[in-house]
Amino acid sequence: MTAAAPSKSGLHSTRNACWALLVLGFLALFAVQRQIDRETDVYAKINEVLYVRSGTTLRSLCLGNEGLLADIYWTRAVQYFGRGLMEGTGERRFELLAPLLRITTDLDPQLIIAYRFGAIFLMARRPVGAGDPQGALQLIRRGIVANPDYWRLWQDLGFVYYWELHDYKSASKMFAIGSQQPGADFWMKALAGTVAAKGGDLETSRFLWSEIYRHAETDAVRKTAEYHLASLKARVDLDKLNDLLEIYRRKTGHDAHSIYDLTSSGLLSGLPKDPSGIPYVIGPDGHAALGEGSSVDLRMVQ
Amino acid sequence: MKAMNRVASIALHTFKEAVRDKVLYNLVVFALLLIGAAILFSSISVGIEQIIMIDLGLSSISVFGLIMAIFIGIGLVSKEIERRTIYHILSKPVRRVEFIVGKYLGLVLTLVINTAIMTAGFYLAIYYQKRSLGAEDFAPLSAIYFILLQLAIVVGLAIFFSCISTPVLSAVFTFCVYVIGHFLSEIRWLGTTLHSSAAKWVTQVLYYLLPNLSDFDFITRAAHGEKMSSSLLVSNSLYALLYVTVLISASILIFEEREFK
Repeated sequence: MTAAAPSKSGLHSTRNACWALLVLGFLALFAVQRQIDRETDVYAKINEVLYVRSGTTLRSLCLGNEGLLADIYWTRAVQYFGRGLMEGTGERRFELLAPLLRITTDLDPQLIIAYRFGAIFLMARRPVGAGDPQGALQLIRRGIVANPDYWRLWQDLGFVYYWELHDYKSASKMFAIGSQQPGADFWMKALAGTVAAKGGDLETSRFLWSEIYRHAETDAVRKTAEYHLASLKARVDLDKLNDLLEIYRRKTGHDAHSIYDLTSSGLLSGLPKDPSGIPYVIGPDGHAALGEGSSVDLRMVQ
Repeated sequence: MKAMNRVASIALHTFKEAVRDKVLYNLVVFALLLIGAAILFSSISVGIEQIIMIDLGLSSISVFGLIMAIFIGIGLVSKEIERRTIYHILSKPVRRVEFIVGKYLGLVLTLVINTAIMTAGFYLAIYYQKRSLGAEDFAPLSAIYFILLQLAIVVGLAIFFSCISTPVLSAVFTFCVYVIGHFLSEIRWLGTTLHSSAAKWVTQVLYYLLPNLSDFDFITRAAHGEKMSSSLLVSNSLYALLYVTVLISASILIFEEREFK
């Protein structure tokens, strides 16, 4: 039995009409969707919302797939707070960073990278991080409870005390405890002693940031370390230049007007540049300063 | 004119068949759910009773409608083929295009009537809770209209997939597209965070190719008394109309190619 077929020309015109509707429909849909996007842009902030804030609730909801979910949350944290920050793509809502990391580590307490990443970005001052050193300490302590043998978390804990809270006594204590953990690098013990004796100094800071740079597991952390190392180098350079300016003043009896005065007097062999490649200048207060257009941020080392 | 009559006749037949299949029984479940919720939340909740009632009522309308749209939609074409009634229908002076359009309109009519009855039940529950109905209580109607537009697209998807696959796979495909359709903004956002331009391009294509069903999500905002702008109303209506046109055109093209021997 065969179904009745319409005439060939009728069938042909139906097909043509359908194809035309299909193509034109899709073209029109593109324009309409763009119009809707413009109208609903105010509601397009859904990406910045966490639907479930409790990691333990999520853990029971995901029926044994918490590892996968932790990976998804971790990826989201890196994408959103890591790359976005470094590329300077708009304002970031840092209040979501701590819950994102808490959920990630609730789902997978052995995800070391999340604690270490969190320590850097929760601790760092705005605009680089959330400016929440207490949140960073809390996260790392949870990491230590879940991973007691991982000595680098003690290093991170000490680092937060050292860098942001300037609590050198606590920092030294954390480095000392870390140095006793299995597999800890030999310098941890020396570091504990240095910090206890000297407190905060630029060399120790450079060493700690260099360690973070060397062992960074994400580009975001590596770039943050680079950023801080550049600031520290500029700080050291500026201190040296100020010393030279003082020598120049004593030698000539008047202030230098520009860095060229230092080179012409033989105190400097060339024009010094900051880590972003911009030559240093002498500021209106007579002290060495960063040149115009420099991307180095000295607030990071204050 | 004759073609229109034939389409109307198929649509009416589809609606009657749905009623005969007792799909409207879901209304009883819906009514019980709403009455129960109205009584329960009035007694245990403070300050957000009406918001809960609107959220629950509109979500129920959406979920019940979705279930009907998928499970009846996937059977519209395949059931006729399985029961071999397709031979009987197409041996009459009924063109395939009329058959598809009629089936589609019949199910949309079923969903409209079903939604209308559920909406009446929803307002009865609101009235029971508030003991009055004011002009502001009718703000959720715009959200219900958007639910209907969404369901119209889902029916189109179900018919499209039922033209190319088995009923079970059609249901799976339709449900998958429905879920993906609610995450297209996330997919597009994901594309913007990737370095690969090919990946960006793919996410953009997906965003415009698949039905963006989150455009029609207005339930939460309606529960907070937000009014919908007329331009959004027009844009979304146009979007649904265009998408349904595309889906039905594609379904007809596929159905025209099928041989029933």
